[in-house]
Amino acid sequence: MHNIYIKQLLTAIFAMLLLVKIAYADGNVIHIQIQKGRFSPAEINIAADTKVKFIVENLDDTPEEFESYDLNREVLIKANSKASFYIGPLSPGIYKFEGEFSPETAQGVVRVK
Amino acid sequence: MILDKSLLQRLLCITLLCVSTSVYAGEYLSGPADYIYSPIVEEGEREIDTKFGTQTPRSSEDNRQSGASIGFGYGVNSWWFTELYGKVIWDGNNSQFDAVEWENKFQLTETGQYPVDLGFLIEIERPQNRNEGYEAKYGFLLQSDWKKWVANLNILMQGHYTGTENQGTYFGYQGQIKYRLQPELELGAQIYSWLGQVNHWNTNQQQQSSAGPAIFGKTKLGHKQALKYNLAYLWGTTTASPKNTVRMQVEYEF
Repeated sequence: MHNIYIKQLLTAIFAMLLLVKIAYADGNVIHIQIQKGRFSPAEINIAADTKVKFIVENLDDTPEEFESYDLNREVLIKANSKASFYIGPLSPGIYKFEGEFSPETAQGVVRVK
Repeated sequence: MILDKSLLQRLLCITLLCVSTSVYAGEYLSGPADYIYSPIVEEGEREIDTKFGTQTPRSSEDNRQSGASIGFGYGVNSWWFTELYGKVIWDGNNSQFDAVEWENKFQLTETGQYPVDLGFLIEIERPQNRNEGYEAKYGFLLQSDWKKWVANLNILMQGHYTGTENQGTYFGYQGQIKYRLQPELELGAQIYSWLGQVNHWNTNQQQQSSAGPAIFGKTKLGHKQALKYNLAYLWGTTTASPKNTVRMQVEYEF
């Protein structure tokens, strides 16, 4: 009997995820480049309470890690590759991020208005 | 509703691992050094992972049960994290090497894409006591962020196979809530619960369940190096649970 409940629970989780995927299919996309150890753009403006997809392209020959405690994200971007992830919905404010492997130069902010 | 290539690769990997451990049976074990799994995988992350826990039994006639483990984990790619570790246990009088475990975690959805991030865990253990055969733990890992809060719910099954002891497949869950106060100190709570066999749940008092407050944190040690920790004090909430459990995990990332 409980096997039936478990199957129903898992089916419900997947159904929920698929429905949400449809809902977020046309979300905003922000492209960021890393070149010579710097983010470009280093300042990103997004609207409050919006989900945004970040596509980060690393043009350098060394890997970089997009790191932000404020955004709760830590993502490795290999040399000459791309990585993507989502942030938000966020409250208005300033959210800092940096490149963990070159924090002196690779710094940026997300301004949520 | 398109299944992309990457998701298909992940599902294939999981299927192969599940087939290799096809559910025979087992006994549930809520070990003192258990911890809350997260579905998020960090590519390229290498870590030395240490865990320790100690449980005070409900009966004063029983010995305190303690356990510890040390392992090495690696984020193979953006969706697969694997870790190999060894466990020791002791009960006040005796200590012994307990098992070798191989943990595999698959992140099934892109971080933050949905309100709930989804992952799948499969952990295979070779107990030192060969009568126990092999143990497999597997299940879905869910995580959700909201502002400064992070919540986890893991739905797990655990069983032994090929052995002569501890038959049965058990069903349980783990839960955690965390407030991200600052990197070095975050506050939250955890719950670990095993409800009984998949086809025969225990009564409320026979279920094993422990819950209590927890703290978490991370501090950078230098270029590409960090130390992460979490520590919890758990009270047993049923008569079948340990009276209390102290558990901690320290990870050195490099």
